[in-house]
Amino acid sequence: MRDKFLLAFRSIKERKARSILTVLGIAVGIAAIVALMSVGYGMEHAITGELTEMADMISVMPGEIRGATYVERGSFTDRDVSDLQRIGGIKDISTMTYDAAKVEYRNENVPIFVFGGDTKELEGFYVDPVGLKEGRWLRENDYKGCVIGDRVANDFFDEVLHVNDKLVINGEKFIVVGVFEKGDMLYSNDVDRNIFLTLRAAKEVLRTDEIKYIIVRVYEIDEAEGIAEEIEERINDNHGLDDFAMAMTMGSMIEMMGDIFNIIRGVLAGIAAIALIVASIGIMNTMLMSVMERTHEIGVMKAIGAKSSDVLSLFLLESSIVSLMGGVIGCLLGWVVAKVLSFLASTASGLEIAAIVKPEVLLGGIAVALIVGVLSGFYPARKASKMSPVEAVRYG
Amino acid sequence: MIHTENLSKTYRMGEVEVQALRDVNLEIKDGEFIAIIGPSGSGKSTLLNLLGCLDKPTSGAVFIDGINTGKLSENALAEIRREKIGFIFQQFNLIHTLNALENVALPMFFAGVGREARLKKAEELLVKVGLGDRIYHKPSELSGGQQQRVAIARSLSNDPEVVIGDEPTGNVDTEAGDAIMDILEGLNRDEGRTIIVVTHDAEIAARAGRTKRMRDGKVLD
Ligand SMILES: Nc1ncnc2c1ncn2[C@@H]1O[C@H](COP(=O)(O)OP(=O)(O)O)[C@@H](O)[C@H]1O
Ligand SMILES: [Mg+2]
Repeated sequence: MRDKFLLAFRSIKERKARSILTVLGIAVGIAAIVALMSVGYGMEHAITGELTEMADMISVMPGEIRGATYVERGSFTDRDVSDLQRIGGIKDISTMTYDAAKVEYRNENVPIFVFGGDTKELEGFYVDPVGLKEGRWLRENDYKGCVIGDRVANDFFDEVLHVNDKLVINGEKFIVVGVFEKGDMLYSNDVDRNIFLTLRAAKEVLRTDEIKYIIVRVYEIDEAEGIAEEIEERINDNHGLDDFAMAMTMGSMIEMMGDIFNIIRGVLAGIAAIALIVASIGIMNTMLMSVMERTHEIGVMKAIGAKSSDVLSLFLLESSIVSLMGGVIGCLLGWVVAKVLSFLASTASGLEIAAIVKPEVLLGGIAVALIVGVLSGFYPARKASKMSPVEAVRYG
Repeated sequence: MIHTENLSKTYRMGEVEVQALRDVNLEIKDGEFIAIIGPSGSGKSTLLNLLGCLDKPTSGAVFIDGINTGKLSENALAEIRREKIGFIFQQFNLIHTLNALENVALPMFFAGVGREARLKKAEELLVKVGLGDRIYHKPSELSGGQQQRVAIARSLSNDPEVVIGDEPTGNVDTEAGDAIMDILEGLNRDEGRTIIVVTHDAEIAARAGRTKRMRDGKVLD
């Protein structure tokens, strides 16, 4: 076996340039698989990781998600809230409201979404993951304070807003006490374009008692799903509709994300599969050329007593070595590419994505390379083994 | 040792048929040194290829040690080529990626001989053909005569009863040709091996114990 290996290796070395190209072809295919999967896992981990931190939370919204858009049905009433308080297993309920308001700064008027809620809840929900660039977060008695999102501070007005700047919201004066960092992919919609007030101040300036959003925290994460169903039932009863409210646990959001990731993974696998098919055509081509070039050599081997199976195994070994090298190099290459891609994805999305290179992906990559090598080497190897000794020797 | 019964071979190239061998009945005895001569195209190579089990007859049969080779499987034929017959070609047919030692050891590799034993035997054989100082040379680093001597050493590696040479001196100069014939003669005289050579050279043919002449695919008496 060792000798066969050496013999096969010798002929790979003999055709250095072509062997290197074939190895590279496979390496690129495998690298694509490894890199795409590793970045995929990293992305999934980054996103579900952030969501998991909030696993005890149920978001309750007056409306439903149709396709990709949220359709609002109205708003919650105080009765809805007091009904929720009667459901067992709930630790905490906080209500929020939001609406567009006219915001004025140095004679410029811009419509901006104003968000009001329990400051502690909002802190856990937005400040902890996104962070503040300037100033501090709202306190419960900050009736005249506001915290603004990154785009509100930097893009919406001619001048950049800072802490202690004064805004007029629907005619009421507020002072900026804090500015958010730029939110990442998950948060930018909710934070960057909004102004945050205490619940009381928001109700006042928006002139509303409407509750647009309720966040419920439960004691037991296991019970969240059941509690969410009960919440929907009670609120739907109150409004006489069977789909007025939507209560979503973080678990179901994570599941939703999981579905999305399955699709992404499928697409990535498709791309990688194409890369591999191209690579395997490359191996087959190399091996076929190798067989053709060595018609004479094969004939000589058979003339001096090599069996068909000897020739078959030699050529299969050769294509396996080539593809194995391609697999190993591809894994290393894929690793590097995954790191680079995840770095780029991190800067692009603002989300901290670290590529996760799983050992099983590496092993799988090498295994796939080997399988591809053996399968695409099989036809040329068989062709070689079927040659008659005299046919081959004649063309020497 | 080897005999043929009505051995015929027809090559077909599209519409054209060439009868390269017609009903050849030949008997070669154990330990014989036989030379086959004849003009180019008379079917000498075709005959040797059939005797050496490199090719299959269109009709008739080759018997080796009483066994009808036409009835053998591919693997059994490979085994005969490996164990019973040493073949020497006009073009040497060494494997150019392997050095002399590895070329000589190759048939033993296919026979499953261990590495140590293989290389030891190969070296002995190279010494025997006078190339003890060239064992690590690649074919491209050897002269034609030297390459043919490597090929002879290779043909002997599995200790065959028969050595078949198709114009073994055809591609080397007279001096190297004589050296090659000396070796073949020695194999016959000292070791009792059966030698079958095809040659153009009457002088070389004269060194054989028996000479057969071929013409138009027939062996003449
Ligand atoms: N593979 C082949 N296909 C077609 N014709 C062949 C083939 N091999 C040999 N021949 C023909 O058969 C005849 C005998 O050839 P060969 O045995 O090589 O003669 P020699 O060795 O005596 O010169 C020649 O006419 C040759 O052209
Ligand atoms: Mg000839």
